[in-house]
Amino acid sequence: MARYLLTRAWQSALTLLLSTIVVFVGVRALPGDPALALAGEDRSPEALEAIRHHYGLDQPLLVQFAQYVERMAQGDFGVSIRTGTPVSSMLTTALPVTVELSILAILIAAALGVGAGVLAAVRRGRPAEWLANGLALIGLSVPHFWLGLLAILYLSVATGLFPASGFVPILEDPVDNLYHLVLPAVILGTGLAAIIMRQTRSAMLDSLSSDYVRTAKAKGLRPRAVITRHALRNSLIVVVTVVGLQLGGLISGAVVTEQIFGLPGFGKMTIDAVFQRDYPVIQAVVLLTATAYIVINFFVDLLYSVIDPRIRVTGDPA
Amino acid sequence: MTNLSVRETNLPRRRVLRAAVAAAAAICTVAACSPVSNNGGGDQPGDNQSAGQDSFGTPADPAAVKQGGELVIALSAEPDALDPTLSRSLYSRYVFQAMCEKLYDVNEQAQVVPQLATALPTTSDDGRTVTIPLRSGVRFADGTAFDSAAVKATLQRHLSNARSARKSELGPIDGVDTPDAQTVVLRLKQPFAPLLGALADRAGMIMSAQALRTLGDDFASAPVCVGPFKFAKRVPQNSIEVVRDPNYYDASKVHLDAISWRILTDASIRAANLRSGDAQVADSVSTQDVASLRQDAAVSVLQSQSLGYQGLTINVGNVDGVGTAPKPINRPLAQNAKVRQAFEHAIDRKALVDAVFNGLHAAACSPISPASTFSSPEAQNCPTHDPAKAKQLLAEAGVQTPYTVTMLASNTPDTLRLAQALQSMVKDGGFDLKINPVEYSSLLDEQDRGNFELLQLGWSGRIDPDANITNFVGTGGSQNVSGYSNPQLDTLLTQARQAGDVEERRKLYGQAVTLLQQDDALIYLYRQRNLTAVSKQIQGLQVFPDGVIRAAFAGFGK
Repeated sequence: MARYLLTRAWQSALTLLLSTIVVFVGVRALPGDPALALAGEDRSPEALEAIRHHYGLDQPLLVQFAQYVERMAQGDFGVSIRTGTPVSSMLTTALPVTVELSILAILIAAALGVGAGVLAAVRRGRPAEWLANGLALIGLSVPHFWLGLLAILYLSVATGLFPASGFVPILEDPVDNLYHLVLPAVILGTGLAAIIMRQTRSAMLDSLSSDYVRTAKAKGLRPRAVITRHALRNSLIVVVTVVGLQLGGLISGAVVTEQIFGLPGFGKMTIDAVFQRDYPVIQAVVLLTATAYIVINFFVDLLYSVIDPRIRVTGDPA
Repeated sequence: MTNLSVRETNLPRRRVLRAAVAAAAAICTVAACSPVSNNGGGDQPGDNQSAGQDSFGTPADPAAVKQGGELVIALSAEPDALDPTLSRSLYSRYVFQAMCEKLYDVNEQAQVVPQLATALPTTSDDGRTVTIPLRSGVRFADGTAFDSAAVKATLQRHLSNARSARKSELGPIDGVDTPDAQTVVLRLKQPFAPLLGALADRAGMIMSAQALRTLGDDFASAPVCVGPFKFAKRVPQNSIEVVRDPNYYDASKVHLDAISWRILTDASIRAANLRSGDAQVADSVSTQDVASLRQDAAVSVLQSQSLGYQGLTINVGNVDGVGTAPKPINRPLAQNAKVRQAFEHAIDRKALVDAVFNGLHAAACSPISPASTFSSPEAQNCPTHDPAKAKQLLAEAGVQTPYTVTMLASNTPDTLRLAQALQSMVKDGGFDLKINPVEYSSLLDEQDRGNFELLQLGWSGRIDPDANITNFVGTGGSQNVSGYSNPQLDTLLTQARQAGDVEERRKLYGQAVTLLQQDDALIYLYRQRNLTAVSKQIQGLQVFPDGVIRAAFAGFGK
């Protein structure tokens, strides 16, 4: 176990370093000068020069990279070129919003997806399955932004049931916080719910036709116990993998959802930073996302062994 | 008052309504349920207005306005640094309007009027000494006194800060004197007429000297000025909030408790927030949404013609990048003015704005807005739409038709629609227009490098015409991306800059426009109207030709 963890840690560090380089070079390869984006309409050669100098953009690329890595090592993400705010403080306000939104979306997606998946598998060939399959198809194919717009149009504008935008920190007012996040979380969770439903359904179908389920039935266990304790438990391994793999997709979905609902999260921050060529913010955001991916994959691997003890975590490759 | 959302004014009512509305929604079809109007009366101009007519809004009637409440403005882009010295975006001017008063302001007629000054400046006969009398008994939001020392500290910062965006606007200022606490004297190296216009914008916003001392370059983190509201909180990329300032000299005119600007970049999302009541004001409404908003009984649309323009820039000499000496470009469009005139004659501006913007924007042929004091018949002269003449000019220039021109344009839906309309229009004049859409930041980059034949961009406009012309078409101008140079025009523009008399400047700018239309390095197309949607709950919100939303003295109707 220790050897495995060490190998994974080393691999993760290498991945991070590579991502840092790719992001650093990639962002600068974008056409568009941050000094120009910042100067906007009021740009004079002196102003552009002053901006470039202030943010060290007039330095050679290698020097910029060295300074960047040095600052990063000290936990300093730099200052936003656009607003002059320290990137770290932007992250600390934006990150909790996205994390909360994502957790809520996963919970909603898991509840809907697993429920519908089990139902579809157990009621195979009946209307319940058709309905679940149909909904899953819609959930998969309809883009977030369109669903979000519809939700705002019908649930905010026409009926006033939910707010169309805005955010209240959870510490300030937990109820209002939830009230503002439910709609975006449902929208964000739709795609994931559909995927979970499909995976649960096929995994459940597999399990239901397997020998151990037949044995369990033969022992005289009640159908409910067979489904939940035996079939579902084994099916969840697939679901956990899928949820883990989809977390990244969730972040990209959050970009759109946050933009539509005006949530001060990570996604909105990313998209605005890219348009403004706000290098320090883009770098920090991408690096953090990469770190999140690495950590999530790591934990998904660990979770396997918890759910299915047959999978042992060892240092051996196979 | 410190949260990010608007709870005070909207949500309590909505919570009460929620259950009832939910029940109602179940009964009636969703489409049939329109938002409930909370309007207690007091219509604003903007109702049943025909397209293309200006309506700036009216001041609030104190008797019809409630005290208190938080106004939420849905903003289309994020303001940059809230520091008058550094700020470079139009959107920060919206926020400054509520919290940073200026020496001078702009009124509905686009005239400069005193704000923190008590009268227009007096200029010495040689035009090099400008004296500004200041208000007395005024305090900054931090309680310190507003006086000539603060004005001096502010102007000196504008002139000396390495990143200052104000330095060139202030022109040839040599020194600032403070003979007494209520008088400021500016000494100039040479006469500089655009100075007044600059002092009616960010250069004239006075900052607390104490805050400048303690915050220095971090002034934007907690800006302190004189204003009806003071800075409360900013969540980067999301919102900015200001609260009523008890120190304000005219505090009795202020009705609201707070104003917050929420950044929602998508136009339809802004419109949706307005309809749902999450916001009461939405800026930069798309011309596509105006018709449906007008049908909404709870919303009115303010429109003011801007001082800027949208146009087509032709690359006539920008080879090595903006600011470098022009070099010849081997293309008929770049070399021969007749080809450019042909392109202009191929354009039907009126049809263009009617088709693309539902007639809400105004056709324009020069950098001088009809709303400007410096407008004249010469400045408003417009080359005719004449495809036959365009073809004839192309023949005279010895160019084979169809003549292919590639246009660089921003990839926003509005610009693309404009580009396509232009494409089909200039065909009759003998042009084959190819569209090359790119994202905005890249567009700026390409334009400055000179990597274009023709490009579509605009300018939001300033109150003084010099700021709308010289930088763009003057030789070596910092935004002269076309690489255009005409010594005769340069002379006219310098004379206009140094002329003290409005009448004389008006005449000179008229002549400048005539020259511009002969050379056609920049073809002016249309002038945007600033379209602002306002809930009828709100009274006293105004938008003047400078495009800035004035919300400081607005209030919720009773």
